[in-house]
Amino acid sequence: MTTNQNRPRHYELVRRIIYVFIALAVIVSYFYHPKQDFSPWIEVRKVYDKVESLSPGDHLFISIDYDPSSEAELYPMCLSLLRHCFKKGVIPIVMTPWPTSVGIAKKGCDEAVDDANSMFGKKVVSGKDYVFLGFRPGVQNLILKMGDNLKGAFDKDYYGQSTQGMEALAGVSSLRDIKLLVDLAAMGTVELWIAYGTDRAGIPMATGTTAVMTPDLYPFYQSNQLIGFLGGLRGAADYEKLLKIPGRGERGMPAQSATHVLILLLILGANIRMFAGRFLRKKEGLS
Amino acid sequence: MILKRTIPLLIVLGIGVLAFMQDYVPHPWSSAFRNEMTTWTMVIGGFAMFLGVYSLSHMHITKIRRKMPGWGYSIFVFIGAIGMIAAYIFSDSIGALSAGTKDEMSLYDWGYNYILIPCSATVFSILAFYMASAAFRTFRARNLAAGLLLAAAIIVMFGRVPVGETVSGWLFNDRMVIPNLSKAIMDYPNLAAKRGIMLGIALGAISQSMRILLGIERSYMGGGD
Repeated sequence: MTTNQNRPRHYELVRRIIYVFIALAVIVSYFYHPKQDFSPWIEVRKVYDKVESLSPGDHLFISIDYDPSSEAELYPMCLSLLRHCFKKGVIPIVMTPWPTSVGIAKKGCDEAVDDANSMFGKKVVSGKDYVFLGFRPGVQNLILKMGDNLKGAFDKDYYGQSTQGMEALAGVSSLRDIKLLVDLAAMGTVELWIAYGTDRAGIPMATGTTAVMTPDLYPFYQSNQLIGFLGGLRGAADYEKLLKIPGRGERGMPAQSATHVLILLLILGANIRMFAGRFLRKKEGLS
Repeated sequence: MILKRTIPLLIVLGIGVLAFMQDYVPHPWSSAFRNEMTTWTMVIGGFAMFLGVYSLSHMHITKIRRKMPGWGYSIFVFIGAIGMIAAYIFSDSIGALSAGTKDEMSLYDWGYNYILIPCSATVFSILAFYMASAAFRTFRARNLAAGLLLAAAIIVMFGRVPVGETVSGWLFNDRMVIPNLSKAIMDYPNLAAKRGIMLGIALGAISQSMRILLGIERSYMGGGD
């Protein structure tokens, strides 16, 4: 309360001006969307190449570890990965250990299935070409359980179909039978998947995370515990570019560029003002 | 004392040692034990959700009953929760009282897709405004360390977006100097710092686990000792 009273009078005005500039930068660049050229990062290319190297009928496991608040960054990644799987004939197995993520995982599956029909002319069927397992609680214990017995952890899929004898899960008894595991995470689950899932099962893993989480992944990437990662909206845009199917990632790049440039200008402006003030005070002190 | 302290400590020690050992014992009994324990914890995790619902409801009912500041918002907690539970139960496609097919969008899906997702995403995106304002007010090169941090932040922020590549091309004759510098900062100083922090956290977690297993750390049992 006292902090607000002690603030300079121009403080609120400056804050509001900054908000208006940010809003304008996002809105104008999103709708104007100038074409921006960029090269996909090597970390993203490695994930793309790995999925590309899979054969039809191989299984790719996707864990949805984000909720609707991180939808802007992670949903485009989920969509691109599923589209890539359906394009290649790879069978995605989708699940989530978070109750609030079930809807967003289902939305991704439904949209990618529709896209497979319209883009690749494939009739994708649940239980045959992909599996959406839904939610189970437990996180690390669930991961351990799937490492031993995947169908024991999920006896039914989200739609109530039994996983025993399911065509899409033929040849899959545990995580060891998965060719690539991708964790799309806005929560601290990457370490759990590495420690309890992929390292034990001896399978490759990749991640897609929010931009603020991406710096945490570098130690795992350097130690080859991650084959690659998609970092933030830029990671999603890179994957879309490699897949040659534009989406919300690429569409968001101009807005992200504009906002970054604006924040940089604000920081530089504030620093120039600070140094100019110091210089003038010093000059006045000398005279 | 025995029921409240000794037996719980013995259970923690016994289960903890067994859970630790199962990684080093390649015997069917060991994996059967792990399988059984993971099933137990998943079931307990499911019941923990009821505890969460009870705790949340209790807090908001108390707020409403005592007309505490902001009590009106607590009503919306119940409207949202009861509305979504009802929508799921009476869902056309997949709810407990389902009748339709999974291809149809249920009322629950509608609520999730058109209320929860936009509201959550909006609240999260407001961060961009706060971050811009906070960066303007506080990110100053007041000394050498702050100056280095500022320089690194500017390079990384600029190098991670497409406009950084475009500007780098203009300034450095089509060479990706800024993105490469950004990558070098992430690949070396960032990696070294993160690894150090992670090793420190891991060592702390090991020592804390040992303290719990040996009964030295007992705060999880309540009572504050």
